[in-house]
Amino acid sequence: MADVPVIDIAGLRKRYGSVDAVCGLDLQVPRGSIYGFLGRNGAGKTTTIKVLLGMARPSGGAARVFGLAADAPDASVEIRRRTGFVSEDKELFDFMTVEEIVRFTAPFFPRWRRDLEERYRRTFELRGAIRVKALSRGMRTKLALLLALCRGAELLVLDEPTAGLDPAATEEVLQALVGHVARDETTIFFSSHQIAEVEQIADRIAIVDRGRAVLAGALDDLRESFRRVQLVFDRDAPQAAFRAAGVARVRRQGRVLTVIASGGAEPILDEARALGPVSVDVAPVTLKEIFLETVATEE
Amino acid sequence: MLWYKAWLETRWRFAIGLAILMLSACGIVFAYPQVARLMPLASNIEARGEIGRRVQEAVQLARDYRGYVWSQWFRQNLIQMWTVFAALLGAGGLLSQTSGGAALYTLSMPASRTRLLGVRAAAGLGELLVLAIAPSLLIPLLSPAVGDSYSVVDVLVHGACLFFGGAVFYALAMLLSTIFPDIWRPLLIALAVAVALAIGEMFVRDVWPYGLFSLMNGETYFRTRHVPWAGLVVTTAAAAALLYGAASSLERRDF
Repeated sequence: MADVPVIDIAGLRKRYGSVDAVCGLDLQVPRGSIYGFLGRNGAGKTTTIKVLLGMARPSGGAARVFGLAADAPDASVEIRRRTGFVSEDKELFDFMTVEEIVRFTAPFFPRWRRDLEERYRRTFELRGAIRVKALSRGMRTKLALLLALCRGAELLVLDEPTAGLDPAATEEVLQALVGHVARDETTIFFSSHQIAEVEQIADRIAIVDRGRAVLAGALDDLRESFRRVQLVFDRDAPQAAFRAAGVARVRRQGRVLTVIASGGAEPILDEARALGPVSVDVAPVTLKEIFLETVATEE
Repeated sequence: MLWYKAWLETRWRFAIGLAILMLSACGIVFAYPQVARLMPLASNIEARGEIGRRVQEAVQLARDYRGYVWSQWFRQNLIQMWTVFAALLGAGGLLSQTSGGAALYTLSMPASRTRLLGVRAAAGLGELLVLAIAPSLLIPLLSPAVGDSYSVVDVLVHGACLFFGGAVFYALAMLLSTIFPDIWRPLLIALAVAVALAIGEMFVRDVWPYGLFSLMNGETYFRTRHVPWAGLVVTTAAAAALLYGAASSLERRDF
């Protein structure tokens, strides 16, 4: 069972009218991972999450969670029983108080964690009598997180969990998530376009653009394999067409030629040196650069 | 807990409806002595056409207390206000929460959409049953205060006719609420259908005596003491079909 991915998406497509929100997405989320699902606005992140939780029907392909088909109504109920969810806008029931929405949610989940409920109520300073409508965005996010974390879920699906939060609240939410995973061995699948927070807590990522995964893997492996090779010439940098595999992007700017390599620097160094630069510099690439280069390549 | 949510969502609409209908029932009872005093003058009223006929009929019915209660309460005030609240309670729901985003929280619960809709429908129908019967029970309770009496059995039969006949408006509003993502269009369309039916029924009354509103006001029972079983079965089946349509529509929808 350990090898079976918690989320397994193959060739997923979702079309709204004439718009392809997701087109041929492939993705596997291993059990116990913190999986960052990166992409620009409108890249298909939220649609993918909705398909996983049975809120939208796929137009094609397959999405399985815990080995269960996400588009089968009965299986979808079972998936949601084992999953905690925080939506992008963190909207809850405005007509309820904090106490009422907790009392509403808890009976649906047989493994509801009363101990965590008390802990997070204290940590997040959520008073039971206050109306959800009266909560600030930050407090609403914390309440949504409490309601997701206390379900005793095997999987947490979080859609932009820190969107709209100030840096202090963001840090508090991220720490709560990391602490939760460390204690309960939960799998987290979270979408974001905040690269810094993905880098802070994720161990695996997928970058999605225009409904397709353009890059996926362990974050450390990606950092290891992506390299920036910078060539400085004593004249204007030449036009260069690299034949080696793994050249993600080539940029010319005056006397400098920058090559982003996705398969390490070695395969392109020989070709680079043959161009006669005065210096060759190889440097690691940040996740932000990987993201920007990957998405830009897709333009 | 879905019951709890359905109750919290609709409790104010229900409470306002109950308060208005109860006040109106009290008004009907305590206005009777004055109506009885005006009866000798009413025989001089001259009016023509459909309205004139209805006025004359109301005057005739008001000559005894049972006729007065039926014509003023079960045929007019109760049926009109109850229909408004049937549409009001049926409007809204999961789709109307989409704009606020709370629909996704509901959908993240481990409950099928059919169950979500079923619980909401059952809670709303329960409230409508209370609205159909509880205010009317004030009439037998308060009638001794004006020196008259009214049968509890009559209240229950008229309440049942109203509920099983009028549930179609509630079900129609629910079906429309799975199509339109706001509360107003389902409400207004359901009410427009009710008004159109009522007006149509008024004009074809002489040739087609089986209208929905005459079923809801229990006219057959009032005049003959027979319960209109066939009509109630047909309208209940129609309401069930509309609710089935609502469940199918909701099941197909993307959020």
